[in-house]
Amino acid sequence: MSAYLLRRIWQMIPTLAGVILLVFFLFNVFGGDPAAILAGKIASKEKIEAIRDQLGLNAPIWVQLWIFVKQVFTFDFGNSWSTNEAVSAIILQKAPVSLTVMLQVWLLDAIIAVTLAVAVAYKRGSLTDRAVMGICTAAMSISLLLYVVVGQWLLGYKLEIFPVLGWSDDLWTNVSTYAPLPILLLLFVSVAPSLRLYRSFVVEETSHDYARTARAKGASEHRVMFVHVLRNAAVPIVTNLAMALPGLFVGSFVVEMVFSIPGLGKEIVTAVLRSDFPVIKAITVYLAILTMVVNLLVDLLYKWLDPRVELK
Amino acid sequence: MTQQASYGFWRAAGKRLWADKLARVCMAILAIYFAMAVASGLGWIAADWNEEVGVSYANPSFLGEDYPNPQGKNSMISQEVLVIDDKQKAVDPLAPYYAEIEQRAAAYEQEELKPSWTLPLGGDKWGRDILAKVIQAGEVSITVGVAAAALAVLVGTLLGAIGGYFGGKLGDLLEWFYNIFTSVPYILLVLAFAAVFGKGISTVILVLGFTGWTGTYRLIRSEYIKQRGRDYVMAANAIGASHARKMFVHILPNVSHLILVQLSQLVVDFIKAEVILSFLGLGVPTDAVSWGIMINEVMPELVLGKWWQLAAVATVMSTFVVAFGLFTDLLRDALDPKASRR
Amino acid sequence: MTTENLLEIKNLHVSFRLGKSETFEALKGVNYVIPKNSVVALVGESGSGKSVSAMAIMDLLPRANTVIAPESGLVFEGVDLLKQSEKQRRALCGKQISMIFQDPMTSLNPVYKVGDQIVEVLRLHKPLSKAAAKQRAVELLREVGIPDPETRINSYPHEMSGGQQQRVMIAMAIACEPKLLIADEPTTALDVTIQKQIIELLIKLKATHGMSVLFITHDLELVREIADHVVVMHRGVIKEQGASEQVFTAPKDPYTRALLACRPTIDKRPIRLPVVEDFLAGREHELPQGERSRGVLASDPIVLEVRNLKKTFRVKQGLFSHKEVAAVKDVSFKLARGKTLGIVGESGSGKTTLGKTILRLNSCEGGEVIYEGKNLMSLSDKEFMPYKRQMQIVFQNPYASLNPRFTVGDILLEPMRVHGIHDSDKDRAEHAMQLLKRVGLDEKAFNKYPHEFSGGQRQRVSIARCLTMKPEILVCDESVSALDVSVQAQVLNLLQELQDEYGMSYLFISHDLNVVKYISDEVLVMNHGEMVEYANADELYRQPKHAYTQKLLAAIPGRG
Repeated sequence: MSAYLLRRIWQMIPTLAGVILLVFFLFNVFGGDPAAILAGKIASKEKIEAIRDQLGLNAPIWVQLWIFVKQVFTFDFGNSWSTNEAVSAIILQKAPVSLTVMLQVWLLDAIIAVTLAVAVAYKRGSLTDRAVMGICTAAMSISLLLYVVVGQWLLGYKLEIFPVLGWSDDLWTNVSTYAPLPILLLLFVSVAPSLRLYRSFVVEETSHDYARTARAKGASEHRVMFVHVLRNAAVPIVTNLAMALPGLFVGSFVVEMVFSIPGLGKEIVTAVLRSDFPVIKAITVYLAILTMVVNLLVDLLYKWLDPRVELK
Repeated sequence: MTQQASYGFWRAAGKRLWADKLARVCMAILAIYFAMAVASGLGWIAADWNEEVGVSYANPSFLGEDYPNPQGKNSMISQEVLVIDDKQKAVDPLAPYYAEIEQRAAAYEQEELKPSWTLPLGGDKWGRDILAKVIQAGEVSITVGVAAAALAVLVGTLLGAIGGYFGGKLGDLLEWFYNIFTSVPYILLVLAFAAVFGKGISTVILVLGFTGWTGTYRLIRSEYIKQRGRDYVMAANAIGASHARKMFVHILPNVSHLILVQLSQLVVDFIKAEVILSFLGLGVPTDAVSWGIMINEVMPELVLGKWWQLAAVATVMSTFVVAFGLFTDLLRDALDPKASRR
Repeated sequence: MTTENLLEIKNLHVSFRLGKSETFEALKGVNYVIPKNSVVALVGESGSGKSVSAMAIMDLLPRANTVIAPESGLVFEGVDLLKQSEKQRRALCGKQISMIFQDPMTSLNPVYKVGDQIVEVLRLHKPLSKAAAKQRAVELLREVGIPDPETRINSYPHEMSGGQQQRVMIAMAIACEPKLLIADEPTTALDVTIQKQIIELLIKLKATHGMSVLFITHDLELVREIADHVVVMHRGVIKEQGASEQVFTAPKDPYTRALLACRPTIDKRPIRLPVVEDFLAGREHELPQGERSRGVLASDPIVLEVRNLKKTFRVKQGLFSHKEVAAVKDVSFKLARGKTLGIVGESGSGKTTLGKTILRLNSCEGGEVIYEGKNLMSLSDKEFMPYKRQMQIVFQNPYASLNPRFTVGDILLEPMRVHGIHDSDKDRAEHAMQLLKRVGLDEKAFNKYPHEFSGGQRQRVSIARCLTMKPEILVCDESVSALDVSVQAQVLNLLQELQDEYGMSYLFISHDLNVVKYISDEVLVMNHGEMVEYANADELYRQPKHAYTQKLLAAIPGRG
């Protein structure tokens, strides 16, 4: 077990190095000249040079890379190029905002999708099953943007059930007032694909021989489904849920933009539009690290859920 | 031995697909869209989408000119025509030159283009015809979706086939690439690429293609690992078939149905991704038009009560993606009847 | 009704809906009875409907697409099960009637401990406390011969061997003292030595618990000693039924006679194996008489020599290191021209790996394979190329060894193209047609796809593919193991004819000692990667020297 952990952590190093290289080359080599962008359209050559010096862009490539690696490991990416705030402060301030919305979406999505998936898998092949699956395909094909635009206009502006947009400093106000509409709209898009996936996991398990054995033992159809099948289907379902965790931190870009929610998603889009490279680089690298850690946790979870899995 | 005619895999799958009424409806819808996209691309239709042919926010024809609309016909300011009589002429020093002025003016006179008060599906802020615009936007969005999906599937299949078939050090290297690309959440990866490479239709295609290959890679790789151990590949090995032959002549046809389904799925995904990117201002440049750009324009219009651009783009786009999504499902069932029989 | 019968199957008709209008009739009016305290063997080849009738008794057929005709009856202790509700029937399962299946690995729930799975069935049908049920589970495990049951009760299924898993299934099945135990091919997935143990266990339990057993199998020989009654089925119809004694010694139906005759046995080696068609066409008395004599003499020319062959696999272990696991250790033999060397062993013995290594389908970690004076293992891939056509292989699974996207024509033309045999595709196609005829297929097969053929026909295509290259050596890797008994005889006959005609040498790899005895001149026994015994076939079967060989031979069904 500890040997496994050690090896897995050891194996993260090349991936992390790869992500660092990818991000570095993307922004420092292909990224064009951020100084020219920052200086504005009518800047003199001298001014651009000065900015380049200030940003450390005149140093040789390998020095820049070294600085970047140091930044990753000291959690210090310097300041935002556009707002001059510390990047780490921005992340720490914005991430909880995204989580306020996304954790609820994640939880509700899991509850709704798993319940419905088991229900339709129970009735698999029936008209209800086929109708629900058809609706899912249609619902998941439609763009999130349409849900958001129409939802905000209809439920916020026309019917005035929810505030059109906004955010406050108070967690409770946010959860009770501002978050519900974005959450509702996000659920429209997220439940359909989850439901389809979980249904396929459950249906896959019902076709296994052990389900037949359970029936032969005299277990009721209910018991076969909930004690035998669901316990096995839980392995891929829980894994899938856990894998979604890193994404929660960045939130939904579209929803945060449309509803003016000051989360990481909005921050990233703003940073991209302003060519604020330190912010994008920092968020990308840390999310990659987070993803790797979550992947490791998922593997341990897997071992816990499925006794067949051996961690070697 | 069955006595019927011999059906290869594809013919049998095609028959299964054709037997489904819903699949035929979906295929008909998709055929219309692709035909429109091609016609628009060739300039046969919707070539004048950028012309300001109507008044700003022209009413859709089916609502008529009189539909309450601050910019509608009933908002027109009536002009009083100034009539100059002889009495006035008498005191006007320019009167003798009237004829000459009129003559000279005639040389410069242009036929005044009367902006139309109504357009088939209404007009946008600049009075452009939404029907033409939504067709042109469809051409762009479908092109982006199909081209990006083709690119992603090509990259994913090639890398997946190599990684799965050879394994070893080469496989490890490709796995490393895969791990790097998947450790960053997809949308963030796309944004990072978009931030660096800027806007433009071909840029969007490249960005979506080069970030979206991972799913196909994973699928094809695991499929190649499975297939390379199958007896038919062993048998090909025993008769001395080369690696390339085993990879592309023997195994590829046996995974091609998965590739097709993957392609179909990615077209839908990438059309949706283009919409989001364009909305965030990172996709198609604003002098072009796509479904995403149109939805982006819609938000302020709604507040003014101009819902027709939204209605048009939502209907047209949703019909396409829903038809494509259902088609993908049915295609999957037709290609893999065992999986759907459960 | 008689009180002697536990279960009466009356005029059972079962059909399955395949599509909107298609139906398939799996059982066409089947009648048989299971008397109290008896073993009834239900024997048939694939597609005979033997399992369907068991599933119908257990109500395990998918309700959505199964139609059981109204005139059918399943009378269990005087009650017609078909007239009962789903709930009533389910309550009977596991309590009065229980069932074990072919593959114990997949039949046990992988995420629950075996003890809990036994406790489940106990508590479903009996008012037992958890602790009492657990106590009973330990006793049951002990009864079915699991060593150290107090600890093993906490094992997960994957931590047990196949034989132990089947014992757990049996423990579950007998937990509530059922009156009828249905065993559906319970030993087919197991090795021959384990098979013997499981059957002995079932018979012992039948006696101690006073229950009846419905034993479903494709192997008639397997039930010769244990069955009281035998029911022979073919394509949804009962061909013959009667007391075991009568069915085995004086079978009335030609199909039964064919089943008994076409299975090779170790005491006879006819020139040609009888096939079902001979019996159905009434030709059974025209079969060639006499036996084929086999064996290799010291003077026979040697075509292939294997010296100290070794194959290891690398397995990850610990933080960074690897462990080497030997699949084949130090195997040596000589293959004589035109003769057959049988290689026998149980699963995991390395026999298949050995065959693949000789053909260089695997890497090789030591030893030599000498052919035409050259060591094939030391050649480069390019140098080895011309030798490939001299050594071909026929695989076990006829459904996996033909590329499903190729027509039979493509399959046969490819090797000729790769090796430049014949100058044009026209000549190649002509050659392919001749070969198709030679292996007993219609010329029309040329443009068909593999899925349009039966298992036996596909093996014929595989053989034809090898013949296109006129190989000197043919490796048959369990080539007839997946086939039904009647088809198996046909393919074995074909292989023998081809050997006589072309003078090919065979490496015949199989777990089936009867088949190996029938077809082999020499036999090599393998166990855990090691060569245990190597001798002329007759000698080895008459006087096995090694203890493992003796154990294997003793486990052959019908040899007791």
